[in-house]
Amino acid sequence: MDFFLHPTEGTRTPVGHTATDQAGSGGLTATEHRLGNGLRLVLSEDHLTPVVAVCLWYDVGSRYEVKGRTGLAHLFEHLMFQGSAQVKGNGHFELVQGAGGSLNGTTSFERTNYFETMPAHQLELALWLEADRMGSLLAALDQESLDNQRAVVKNERRQSYDNVPYGTAFERIAALVYPDGHPYHHTPIGSMADLDAATLDDARAFFRANYAPNNAVLAVVGDIDPQQTIAWAERYFGSIPPFDGKVPPRDGALPDIIGQELRQEIEEEVPARALMEGYRLPRDGTPECDAAELATVVLGHGLSSRLYNRLVRRDRTAISADFGLLRLTGAPSLGWLDVKAAGGAGLGEIGAAVDEELARLGAEAPTAEEMERAQALLERDWLDRLSTVIGRANELCRYTMLFGDPRLAFTAVDRISAVTGEQVRAVAAARLRPDNRAVLAYEPVTPGDRAAGAAGGPAGTDGGDGQQEDGQRKGAGQ
Amino acid sequence: MTDAAVTMDFHPRPGPGPAKPWAFPVPERGALASGLAVLRSHRPGQQVVAVEISLGVPLDAEPHGLDGIAAIMVDGLSQGTATYTAEEFTAELERCGATLGAHADYLGARVSLEVPASRLPRALGLLAEALHAPTFPAGEIERLVSNRLDEIPIELANPGRRAAKQLAQELFPASTRLSRPRRGTEETVARIDAAEVRAFYQAHVHPTAAAAVVAGDLTGIDLDAVLADTLGGWTGDGPQPPPPAPVAAGGEGRVVIVDRPGAVQTQLLIGRVGPDRHDPVWPALVLGTYCLGGTLTSRLDRVLREEKGYTYGVRASQQVLQSPALPAAGASVLAISGSVDTASTGPALADLWTVLRTLAAEGLTETERDTAVQNLVGVAPLRYEQAASVADTLADQVEQHLPDDYQAQLYARLAETGVAAATAAVVAAFPADGLATILVGDASEIGAPVQALGIGEVKVVKG
Repeated sequence: MDFFLHPTEGTRTPVGHTATDQAGSGGLTATEHRLGNGLRLVLSEDHLTPVVAVCLWYDVGSRYEVKGRTGLAHLFEHLMFQGSAQVKGNGHFELVQGAGGSLNGTTSFERTNYFETMPAHQLELALWLEADRMGSLLAALDQESLDNQRAVVKNERRQSYDNVPYGTAFERIAALVYPDGHPYHHTPIGSMADLDAATLDDARAFFRANYAPNNAVLAVVGDIDPQQTIAWAERYFGSIPPFDGKVPPRDGALPDIIGQELRQEIEEEVPARALMEGYRLPRDGTPECDAAELATVVLGHGLSSRLYNRLVRRDRTAISADFGLLRLTGAPSLGWLDVKAAGGAGLGEIGAAVDEELARLGAEAPTAEEMERAQALLERDWLDRLSTVIGRANELCRYTMLFGDPRLAFTAVDRISAVTGEQVRAVAAARLRPDNRAVLAYEPVTPGDRAAGAAGGPAGTDGGDGQQEDGQRKGAGQ
Repeated sequence: MTDAAVTMDFHPRPGPGPAKPWAFPVPERGALASGLAVLRSHRPGQQVVAVEISLGVPLDAEPHGLDGIAAIMVDGLSQGTATYTAEEFTAELERCGATLGAHADYLGARVSLEVPASRLPRALGLLAEALHAPTFPAGEIERLVSNRLDEIPIELANPGRRAAKQLAQELFPASTRLSRPRRGTEETVARIDAAEVRAFYQAHVHPTAAAAVVAGDLTGIDLDAVLADTLGGWTGDGPQPPPPAPVAAGGEGRVVIVDRPGAVQTQLLIGRVGPDRHDPVWPALVLGTYCLGGTLTSRLDRVLREEKGYTYGVRASQQVLQSPALPAAGASVLAISGSVDTASTGPALADLWTVLRTLAAEGLTETERDTAVQNLVGVAPLRYEQAASVADTLADQVEQHLPDDYQAQLYARLAETGVAAATAAVVAAFPADGLATILVGDASEIGAPVQALGIGEVKVVKG
């Protein structure tokens, strides 16, 4: 089957492209509506291909979880595919796929999303399915499906984190950058012990508190008739009651700077030395966050970044150097540098070179060519994101839920283009510093000599069908 | 506890509206004066244009003992040209917002460019330079070789990659290129140097053996003029690659455990040699394989994931490895893959074999077949939304010596395939007593339970 591979929340975040000066795409527009029960509906027409995306964001993610129940938001996401009042068992999957559609869900720190991409003439079915589970999941939820999906999620954790080299790096970094007790200290996959401890009552309470129309945004993008779509949304979602008792997430505010370097030396059965660094960066929605993203691109995105040129091409101490940004709104964003060492190179010389490059960027603004390159790469990321109906629907949900205006999705490139080299320098000087990072230094050991480490979970996770988020931007080509 | 569940108004499940037609685009074919074949596909709205250059250099062309040189050569195309150093070339490309990928596979080598339409001419100029004027500087090639040597252990640490390497070794005779990794081994890669790479390039890379595919929104672009100004400068001639030798399919059931002490999961890869797309069975095979393991409601995951919780997901698939113009020498790998927790390895394999035996005994149902057709045909417009996926499939068709309308016709053929044909194809593809099973996991934990299953002789190799 075709997995939906579009980068979603947690991968490199947007950047914009000017939706107003269309080229072939005809100029993107979006309209916003609100049902009586508080459900926000965003519509965007595109009649070039007979397809449609339905994307539903719920304002709940792992940051809402409490100690002892980590992983609940994601486990719950799996349960959303296990049937509801009018949909038996795996009917959600069967009906969508049988209609020629594809579907999935993902969970991150800040939100949970569900989506269907359908041939345009099957839109009504997707809306009916989403409404049925929003309004009646508890009619079908039982111990058997909880136990089954708990086992599936534990195998997801093993497959994606515990049984792959460096698999637990992300949860280690998050646990250091966001201190104990902070809502982002643990990642969405959760711990094995907490997954075991989750009860049916936990799941029911979680559903009641979060899966209500006034806590969601529904985007429908593609070959649609807007009036008909609004009428269907009203028909299927309109009678679902709102929930007024939602408890806001714990406060994620933190000082801009960690204040010291937090370092873990990790001896594991990994195939090569690796240096990973996590930085506290400005929150999404600020010009400083856009500047920070450009800084990470200048330093470590693509195959002609400063760190790639320095470590891989010139010093030849590394085989890869990638700097990603996980944009967050409820806490400082997370910058994540990942360097895999070349054969004989030591982490000391790599770290020293990284520090030199960070300091150089803090002292001296990038050149005009470097800014052109970084802005062009981010514009390209955004064009990729907008090239599918589901990519557009996801961005519209994001900007509606997190910033209150879907149209901000269409001006993100303008914001990136407005950043100056001096702003990039300033954010690098302020944030990309040794006293503002968590460092993982991986040293390979042979089997049987394994050191124990912290536990946690990944950035975002799959959905009902195996999609995952990797907390970082995808590599570029080659 | 159904209180909160029933306060909404329920409506009957809606049916579909009238379907709108969609067809996979058949490209417009032409050629440049140099002999380079050009396939173009205008995809309205797709502002990122995809260009695939199929070089027509199969891995069979690699000199003996230099496995991996094709991959180093295509990577090396962007590591220095007559005009630019490696760093300058990549920076120029990235200032266009472009990405350039290179890939060497059994079927052929490929260079893939993606770039916003507004900067297509500039990026195509760079691509043309990489194709006709690469310098393969000794220092850069040495770096690519050394990076590759560092990457090999990292890849093999991944249980899925390790399993794939072992399966190729099990399915194909050691004398064939198919039995060995695409990008070579530590031993063969270490022998590659710039002189060898240049010689390989000169012998095999020329426009008369190649094809260019361009897909995307071409509104306002005079593509003929742009191509003439850019790829038109790439000239030369040389031999066409020889067709591959036929591969024997079949073999007894056998099991190889790649030992990973302490692994919390076992990676499964269960496979067999199959036909290529020229074989008339292909649509039935695609259909039957989907019913077996295409999604989480297919037969395998219905049991292994949704009933037992042994896995995050098990999939069945097919991948073509050679596909000459003349039939009979085509080959693919048909495989079931996934991972299960260590303790469940024996029970999961027992269930998996029960699924295969039940399928062989009872066949697929009409409902399964119908659902599979509706999905495989229905998702086509979604699967091909982006220009890059269209270009990739068109380039696959070229490499596999298929007609330009192959994919367009495939959907009609899938829709015509009945349940009996789909059953026969998938049962022949996955015979319960004729599969090579690779298990990457803890041999001390899984060895005995696997032995007890009787699915073939069990051999243990080092991880």
